[in-house]
Amino acid sequence: MANTVQDHGHAEDHGHDHDHKPAFFARWFMSTNHKDIGTLYLIFAIFAGMIGGAFSGMMRFELTEPGIQYLATFSHWFGVANPSFDEQLHLWNVLISAHGLIMVFFMVMPALIGGFGNWFVPLMIGAPDMAFPRMNNISFWLTVAGFCSLMASAFVPGGTGQGAGIGWTAYAPLSTSGSAGPAVDFAIFSLHLAGAASIMGAINFITTIFNMRAPGMTLHKMPLFVWSVLVTAFLLLLALPVLAAAITMLITDRNFGTTFFDAAGGGDPVLFQHLFWFFGHPEVYIMILPGFGIISQIISTHSNKPVFGYLGMAYAMVAIGVVGFVVWAHHMYTTGLSVNTKMYFTAATMVIAVPTGIKIFSWIATMWGGSLEFKSPLVWAMGFIFLFTVGGVTGVVLANGGIDDNMQDTYYVVGHFHYVLSLGAVTSLFAGFYYWFPKMSGKMHSEFLSYLHFAVFFVGVNLIFFPMHFLGLQGMPRRYPDYVEAYAHWNWVATLGYKIMAVSILIWIVNVIYAFIWGKKAADNYWGHGANTLEWTLSSPPPFHQFETLPVIDDNAHH
Amino acid sequence: MTAAALSVSRNRRVAFYAAGMALAMLALGWASVPLYRMFCQATGWGGTTMRVSEAQAATVKAVAQTISVRFDGNVDHDLPWKFGPEQVTQAVRLGERSLAIYRAKNLSDKPIVGRASFNVVPEQAGKYFTKIQCFCFTEQTLKPGEEVRMPVTYYVDPSILEDMDARDIGQITLSYSFHQDKEASRKALDRVASAR
Amino acid sequence: MMIFGDRARRAGSALRALGLSFGMGLAATAAHAQEAVASAAASPAASGSPSAAGSYVPMAPTPGVGMPVNGGLGFQPQYTENGQYALWFHDALLMPLIVLICLFVLLLLIWVVIRYRKARNPVASKTSHNTAIEIVWTLLPVLILVGIAIPSINLLSKQFKPAPENALTIKVTGNQWFWTYTYPDNGGFDVNSYMLNQPGQPKINADVREVGSKPWDGPAQLEVDNRMVVPVNEPIRIQTIGSDVIHAFAVPSLWFKLDAVPGRINEKVLTITREGVYYGQCSELCGARHGYMPIAVEVVSRDKFNAWVQTHSGGVIDHQPKPAAAPAAPAAAASAAPAASTAASAAPSASTAPGA
Repeated sequence: MANTVQDHGHAEDHGHDHDHKPAFFARWFMSTNHKDIGTLYLIFAIFAGMIGGAFSGMMRFELTEPGIQYLATFSHWFGVANPSFDEQLHLWNVLISAHGLIMVFFMVMPALIGGFGNWFVPLMIGAPDMAFPRMNNISFWLTVAGFCSLMASAFVPGGTGQGAGIGWTAYAPLSTSGSAGPAVDFAIFSLHLAGAASIMGAINFITTIFNMRAPGMTLHKMPLFVWSVLVTAFLLLLALPVLAAAITMLITDRNFGTTFFDAAGGGDPVLFQHLFWFFGHPEVYIMILPGFGIISQIISTHSNKPVFGYLGMAYAMVAIGVVGFVVWAHHMYTTGLSVNTKMYFTAATMVIAVPTGIKIFSWIATMWGGSLEFKSPLVWAMGFIFLFTVGGVTGVVLANGGIDDNMQDTYYVVGHFHYVLSLGAVTSLFAGFYYWFPKMSGKMHSEFLSYLHFAVFFVGVNLIFFPMHFLGLQGMPRRYPDYVEAYAHWNWVATLGYKIMAVSILIWIVNVIYAFIWGKKAADNYWGHGANTLEWTLSSPPPFHQFETLPVIDDNAHH
Repeated sequence: MTAAALSVSRNRRVAFYAAGMALAMLALGWASVPLYRMFCQATGWGGTTMRVSEAQAATVKAVAQTISVRFDGNVDHDLPWKFGPEQVTQAVRLGERSLAIYRAKNLSDKPIVGRASFNVVPEQAGKYFTKIQCFCFTEQTLKPGEEVRMPVTYYVDPSILEDMDARDIGQITLSYSFHQDKEASRKALDRVASAR
Repeated sequence: MMIFGDRARRAGSALRALGLSFGMGLAATAAHAQEAVASAAASPAASGSPSAAGSYVPMAPTPGVGMPVNGGLGFQPQYTENGQYALWFHDALLMPLIVLICLFVLLLLIWVVIRYRKARNPVASKTSHNTAIEIVWTLLPVLILVGIAIPSINLLSKQFKPAPENALTIKVTGNQWFWTYTYPDNGGFDVNSYMLNQPGQPKINADVREVGSKPWDGPAQLEVDNRMVVPVNEPIRIQTIGSDVIHAFAVPSLWFKLDAVPGRINEKVLTITREGVYYGQCSELCGARHGYMPIAVEVVSRDKFNAWVQTHSGGVIDHQPKPAAAPAAPAAAASAAPAASTAASAAPSASTAPGA
């Protein structure tokens, strides 16, 4: 398909001496190489994910049975020697806020966009690097700085206790007059940094994808993963500045006497929710669209078949992105919206089910008639399709403004968005990891451990999150550290699920260690002829500098 | 060399446009505050009431139908005032100008400046609930222990009868919440101190 | 390990001390509540007949009604007409539909696994387009969604039907961390509602008794010292507002949830069709004790409601037939109304202001 002229065709045979890599410090701290930055992002995302996952573990342990059992102990971990009961409860709010912020801004986004996006967008379009390599470096380190700011917020006063206990949504006035102390400022500043990093990253991806495609690679020949990152980059570019404006107003309301969201000065707290969700709803697509792209690549590869309905798939993502901007108030059904507003947002939200359905059915149609090889990425991808469908249909239920009156802020919502994010986006992350890990590292992982990881993970996450639908229907509100006796049964099951899920993460770590120590050397194209995008024409790992002579895509090549 | 320079300038152009989009969205985020206020004031969204001058109010013709109006008053938890309506409800003819009185008392020993936020429910009535004069248009300063009666002059626009969404409203509630203007209160306190 | 346990113990005692000092600060606000408790307790087991003096004995909740049940899978049973319609819409339409969709996708996946595995289908087809099927899987979901949208829109318009003019009005104020129920039509008295403390857990509200100390107490974490009492089978105009941060007034078995936003009032109608006690919990993150400000709605007959109203000082029965003041008030009554209602409610409006 691609007539690639490779300067480094035999580089892998002689080690990496020909790559002229910089020395350790310069390579990893001043990196301008998209693959190195991608690696940094992945390592960072894994680290942040471990912390965010540990926070969710602390939450699940506290929720194992009714009553408050562990919050005092956890307070000690955060350096509070003698926590009052209110300080313990505040810590709970800090945990839920930090878990959400970390997983969204410092795990899923850095991994999908910063990690896989940086690694594979230039490789797939036949570019030597990103358009602005140094800006790429700034993006990464700003993300790290943002994470540090968020971590620091947990150790400074934030109102009733230490840390920012405002939820990831940071609704005013709880986040303004309701939380004295610098913790909330630190948390908001961390979003500023992460947001600036993402906007720069988005500009970088858009420029790279528009300008640096290899000759012959038209937009309609780009792999779907590149399409997904392009759409995501536009969502970032349009949504994040609105968040930046909103949280800057929070800062000025808190510190400089403005009243943007304060009724005392003619402001409206509900306006913050409008602004937040104008960003927040596209944000959920920012987290899932790159996953869609990865799944499309994997399914096509392991079905040995081109993607079914390529154009439909690409434009379905565009449609999801566009419609994603006009449905935000379905997060605000109980704020006192008028009947007409609720009807509009109900209808508009349901529209999103149509392009999503196109994607699900197109993936299945890609496999239909294919010659399926059940390598680990495909197993994960099929798991993704099913789990994402479950999360998607509960979204259709929640879209109904009248039904949502009873579900808003209950565990049903928590179940729903974890099915699309924790089981959707994270499953796609693991699928992408097993798909590309040997390409990135040059070492094969253990397929057996990958299957085992999947099986244990699948059981675990379903045990955590499926019972949450029951809890939500029964009325259990979210963000509660303690609950009524009647919710005990399913909460116990969910915690059991967490323990199983934690085991699966251990299996994954063992698998990575195994690969680095005993893993076989990965071939250039270890998945065989189904894998036909440009990264498979390079060695594993690819040379430090690739495509110094651009590959040429011939006219009748298939994506 | 020229090809490389060309690609650099091409990249810069795309990045420039992209950054421009981001900046435009940032500006839109900030502009949303006045835009939201204007939108609410123009459409009555969220139960925002209308405001007219005496001259404009004089042009409205009253009709025979009546509607019930309920009055509600609230104070923020950190404002030591007592505040509430003198009348719980009023039945008024549509289009006819009416007067309602609220009563506020400063329970503290300091002068306090308060400002009222307000809305009506059901919220689709906002477009028709029209104020001519209101204590909420300006901030109110209450001396220690002072009690005042505060008037609202309003009418309900008869065109509410032509609105499918609003015509079967049985009762409109006008609600006020008093908040402390901390900055102005501090200044008021300073003035008292310097007068002594 | 030992150090750890020791630290935990010390934390426990410090916690009790701090809880106590917090309680002192709260005493002022709790005074209100105390008063109401006293007035309720002052009329023990008075006969059900509505006497002018007023009487009220809290109702014992029915297990499984108005509260969650352990291991429950679906919605709580509904006790409003809109709730029953919504429940039908969810249980009879949405739920079967989404289960079918999931099963359909699962079946397709299983079929693909069986039929198109490499061993069974060594040579992959090259098909990558089929316009007909692409149109089908675009249009079919559209039709399904239109099918959902019709009852959904219908439900919304039912929920937003405005309250009749003379509906009983209750104002619900969310505070950190208790609810205040104001009855402007009944003389404007306030009812402050705090969660009952739990035995063996840190004291949440000072001067409030422990759950289970009265025969009518419902489940821990749901029962409160003073319930919101409302009459059965009457439209009630619920108005919510916050006094500090955003709270949400929610009762799952009544299909009711409305945010209490500081600085602006929200309104919705609620008609409950069965006497009983219905529990809910604050549903918008409002700070440290967000999980400790439950809602208990006690629904009683009109007679009992009137008797309950009269247990409050200044409590008057709402919408008593006044001369020449039928629901469709004629013009004469309208012009007289300001003066008349001022006289009737001068006292109530003076006592309306909360937070005194």
